[in-house]
Amino acid sequence: MKLLTWALATFHTTVFVLIIVLFAYSGGGLGGALGGLNTFAGLGLFVALWATTYLTTSRALKGLDLIASARARAGYPIRALRWGAANGMSFLVILGLVAVIGGIASTRPEQVVSGILIPALFISPIALVVSAAFGGAVGAFFGMIDLALFAVAGLTGEDAEPTV
Amino acid sequence: MELDPNVVHVAIRWLHVAAMATAFGGAVSVLALSTRPGDVSAGAIVGVAIRYEWIFWAAAGVLAMTGIGNLAAFGAALLGPATNWGVTLLLKLGSVLTLVVLSLPRTLAVARMSAGPIAPSVMIAVRNLYGATTGAFAAILAMAIWLAHG
Repeated sequence: MKLLTWALATFHTTVFVLIIVLFAYSGGGLGGALGGLNTFAGLGLFVALWATTYLTTSRALKGLDLIASARARAGYPIRALRWGAANGMSFLVILGLVAVIGGIASTRPEQVVSGILIPALFISPIALVVSAAFGGAVGAFFGMIDLALFAVAGLTGEDAEPTV
Repeated sequence: MELDPNVVHVAIRWLHVAAMATAFGGAVSVLALSTRPGDVSAGAIVGVAIRYEWIFWAAAGVLAMTGIGNLAAFGAALLGPATNWGVTLLLKLGSVLTLVVLSLPRTLAVARMSAGPIAPSVMIAVRNLYGATTGAFAAILAMAIWLAHG
């Protein structure tokens, strides 16, 4: 586990969630939305997003030394886009599994196939494409923000000594 | 058996306060070390700062997660953004967002310091970075107390 991976993954997760909360609260819909969400489900979803973001960030940074290498930083936005898309799909799979299992638990056994599984089968390919596009866009956005913050930290010039 | 919602909310609030105390106390400790290092070498202080960065990001994630849990405890009774309380909450959320965004360059700067030879002059940068972090945490803490008891 590397500090940079841990910092970037947590940075992306917290900033993403804080922006949603800020917009939802400004629009007046936060109280109702959170009130309808089970506390453990809310905490679980945050932890799931944190975990998928950590895993995808770790893959995006594999073999790159963003602190020491300007060349690595130049290639980072494309990886951020690609692994952002993977993160969007991973999180959707978790959401989908929770929704399907919850649906099965609260549906009569004879209605599970027609009421839950068949609709899920039809919706899932479209949802995966949408989540990949959304995740890719968010990943690309964070890739650019990260590079701007790297510049703030003075990491803009030529390659330096490799870091651990 | 169903858990009492009040117990869950108290546990979430406990975790929120503990994460805040850890992050704030850690920043104060690194600031104090860099301001009056005594016999402690610059390398050792940067080493402590690196440890703090690991803890800071863990605390940041826990604070965001439990902060939303605290807001959820209000449910539909959450006061709107046009009230005094709401304006303070928006100010607090904006301050937290700013602190998190500006903490990434701090982490990068400290990681960069630890990668090369550490000159004693580095302590000025460490002092400034953790002085700013401590100040930001103190301001956010004041807003949090006002929101809870104001």
